[in-house]
Amino acid sequence: MSSQLIRALFLALLSTIVALPVGYFVAHWAGWVLFCGGLGLQLAFHFRNFSRLDHWSKNPVVDDSLEGEGAWDGVFGRLYRHEKDLRSQIAGRDQEVAMLIAAGQALTDGVVLLDQNDQIVYCNTTAEMQLGLVVATDRGQPVVNLVRQPEFIGYLEAGDHSRPLTLRSDRRADRVLSIYIIPYAGDRRLMQIKDVTQTDRLDRMRRDFVANVSHELRTPLTVLAGFLETLQEYDVEPDERKRYLDMMAEQSKRMQSIVQDLLTLSSIESAPPPESDAVDMASMINKLHRDAEGLSAGRHTIVVESDGQGDLRGSEPELVSAFGNLVANAVRYTPTGGTIRIGWKAGPQGGEFSVKDTGIGIDAKHIPRLTERFYRVDRGRSRDAGGTGLGLAIVKHSLNRHQAQLDIQSTPGVGSCFSAKFPPNRVIGL
Amino acid sequence: MNESQHLSSQFDDDLSRLRTHVLQMGGLVETQVSAAIEAYSTGEIASVKAIVETDRKVNELEKAIDDDCAHIIAKRQPTASDLRLVLGISKIVTDLERAGDEAKKIAKGVRRIYENGHLPGQYGVGIRHLAEAALTMIRQALDAFARLDTPQAADVIRADTDVDAEFKSIIRQLITHMMEDPRTITTSIEIISIARAIERIGDHAKNISEQVVYIVEGRDIRHTKEKAL
Repeated sequence: MSSQLIRALFLALLSTIVALPVGYFVAHWAGWVLFCGGLGLQLAFHFRNFSRLDHWSKNPVVDDSLEGEGAWDGVFGRLYRHEKDLRSQIAGRDQEVAMLIAAGQALTDGVVLLDQNDQIVYCNTTAEMQLGLVVATDRGQPVVNLVRQPEFIGYLEAGDHSRPLTLRSDRRADRVLSIYIIPYAGDRRLMQIKDVTQTDRLDRMRRDFVANVSHELRTPLTVLAGFLETLQEYDVEPDERKRYLDMMAEQSKRMQSIVQDLLTLSSIESAPPPESDAVDMASMINKLHRDAEGLSAGRHTIVVESDGQGDLRGSEPELVSAFGNLVANAVRYTPTGGTIRIGWKAGPQGGEFSVKDTGIGIDAKHIPRLTERFYRVDRGRSRDAGGTGLGLAIVKHSLNRHQAQLDIQSTPGVGSCFSAKFPPNRVIGL
Repeated sequence: MNESQHLSSQFDDDLSRLRTHVLQMGGLVETQVSAAIEAYSTGEIASVKAIVETDRKVNELEKAIDDDCAHIIAKRQPTASDLRLVLGISKIVTDLERAGDEAKKIAKGVRRIYENGHLPGQYGVGIRHLAEAALTMIRQALDAFARLDTPQAADVIRADTDVDAEFKSIIRQLITHMMEDPRTITTSIEIISIARAIERIGDHAKNISEQVVYIVEGRDIRHTKEKAL
């Protein structure tokens, strides 16, 4: 600073030194003109630099290096460096933020950041899908404006967030979400959303299973106990007595078959992997066809669609019971006059056994739960039809043990198609 | 200067709170409708009581929001888009409340059917489909209101035509069914009134969407045949 001051004073002094003799020897006015001219030149020089700075500051570009003259050079240089540092710092921060956001996007859980007024600050793609948000337009929107379920609003407003909220998603049917609210940075909040559909289903299955086993066994037991009591306490006519005993026998048979099925299931579950005997599919299909004809007693048209190509490797008794079960179901749930197609085809992609019927069909929402134990679409009907409620569970387990997939397609009122898809390594004799 | 800024930001808060209340009420109605559909398809008539209970809350919210609207108009004298927002909201809550009533009607109808020992039977699928379409309409109308999203509102208005058509086809089916088997008339009439209620819910969703267009664009598109959406 002082050097600049000295320089300015020196230049002023210089113009005085030049102007004084001129004023003295030539004319007063000429001296003044020279003096003012000298100062004016200095002013013009400063103004030019000032206007350069002014121009640059309106749009500070770092590529255009800012060069000053004389005393201004140092100032401009420092400013320029400062701007450049700032920019590289900002670029670094931007990158860090972008990395953080990318990390947020990579989470498999949904994340929503809320500000102190519960307005959305950020949410990742998972949360967008889970809650039906669109981050681009919903930033700054109170989250309760878009996630409107009363349970959620109540939970958000309640002070206690030690337990997560389990919420049935209203946007994606059948999804169950578990929502955690975690405070951060003072009064801001973070919502973490887990999709717990699968766990929820398992929990429900386990609960249902115990309840169902007890229920299924209790019903026939109640009947048995009732008749026993009657027989003990009253004298009953021989005819009546016989009728009672018949019914008791029927109910105990029913209990036996439930227990039998339960044992089959548990033995399949705990048994070692099935043997890999060759199973002759042509004779298997023949046998299934005969069984179906027997069960149907002429009420349905049974068609076999198979070219007899390819056999399976696996445990014959398990496959017979699985396929037999599918065929028996088709017969059971197809009204008189319907058609049942038993199909087998094998190729390099694997084998597929299918049973297609023109029966009553199954509503889409029941399909994922069909193979659960004791799951019934229509409680009354399946028990009348003589099912134990364990058939499809056994089928699924047997097929799983053969690495096969059970695929169910169905349209209510039109019919269903159950197919078992075997991988290529299970198919032989092509 | 400072004073007026402070006032206007408080006004913004008031408006945003009002909107949140409307959407909260909307959330209740959505729950009612989806619970009513659930009751219809599963026969769990225990939830009917909860639906009726929710209706009381909806009614209270309607009154509270109407009150707030009147207060805002009296105290703040809003103009332009703010005024349209307040006016639109006071119409939207009416539609929401009626949609809630329709949900209640459905729930009660379901209870009557199941209590008489009948099942919705083969109409289960059609009605459920219709109801899901109406529920989606309500949800999208409320989303459109939350985001002030006119294209979405236009989608809802267009969807109403499909719901109406589906409703008519269900009615036709039911009429044939009743003529074939007069014993089903009682149940069929209940189902008709349920279908009618669902169709009305779709209409209310459409009205809400029309208000959204009015709030955003200032155009009143009610009762216009050729809608330049």
